[in-house]
Amino acid sequence: MLEVLKEAAVGSLLSVKQIAVIVIPIMIAMEFLKDLGVLDRIAGFFSPLVRVFGMRKESGFPLVIGIIIGLSYGAGVIFRTARENRLPRRDLYLITYFLVAAHAVFEDTAIFAALGVSSALLLTTRLLVAAMFTFLASKLMRHELEKEVNL
Amino acid sequence: MGSPPGSVSLDTLKRGLQSGLEVTWQLARILIPVYFIVTFFKHTPILEIVARLFAPLMGIFGLPGEAALVLVLGNFVNLYAAIGAIVSLSLSLKEITVLAIMLSFCHSLPVETALAKKIGLSAVNVIAVRVGLAVLSGIAFNFLL
Repeated sequence: MLEVLKEAAVGSLLSVKQIAVIVIPIMIAMEFLKDLGVLDRIAGFFSPLVRVFGMRKESGFPLVIGIIIGLSYGAGVIFRTARENRLPRRDLYLITYFLVAAHAVFEDTAIFAALGVSSALLLTTRLLVAAMFTFLASKLMRHELEKEVNL
Repeated sequence: MGSPPGSVSLDTLKRGLQSGLEVTWQLARILIPVYFIVTFFKHTPILEIVARLFAPLMGIFGLPGEAALVLVLGNFVNLYAAIGAIVSLSLSLKEITVLAIMLSFCHSLPVETALAKKIGLSAVNVIAVRVGLAVLSGIAFNFLL
């Protein structure tokens, strides 16, 4: 029994350490990118791409922020952008479908990379599949959802 | 985003360190108990029984039966719980990679589905899409890797 406890204590602490040494620097780097305004510029740069999904370009900003930072923070930006720009309901739904499949991509990837998984593979698969699904959904989504919403 | 763009200060470092430590703490809080429980089960026949029960299902993704534990914890609790199970089981890198891809599409369903519902999506649709993407990618990467 003592052996089992020791095995679990050593193993679990080593795993936490292994992940912490990767995740902490990533989170610090993200904070620097935020404060330097790089994140906003990245989001601004990529947001016109959402036209592929038939979305307004203003809808790209909350999408890119959610992909990078995460779902709960992203949801906050979605609500704000929707209020300021009166986005169509269709855009909100498509943003959310993309985000449930791919959000906080750097944090999640860092954690799995600490376990030895290829970060390039994980990151590209996740973004590519989420984009493909959103494209499919954009073709299927009904036009009555074009109406603007007030959240 | 806190301060005006282009202004980096000691505060930036402090906030980054804080959020890094917060993630580490959330991870440790869940990973450590999961690791203890799984390690305990490894020394009893229970894990063996679970593994045999789920072997046919997990075989679709080229995973051993006990990997079901990882998927269940990841979806009903969160990614950190899934990672606790991954590190305490003895899985190969290919198996961990398939699990990582499946989990990245589909995890923390209770919390994240609630968020999607708040924006106006149907919970059933969101869960169906996420589980669907996880299953398809799991099957695909078992072949590709």
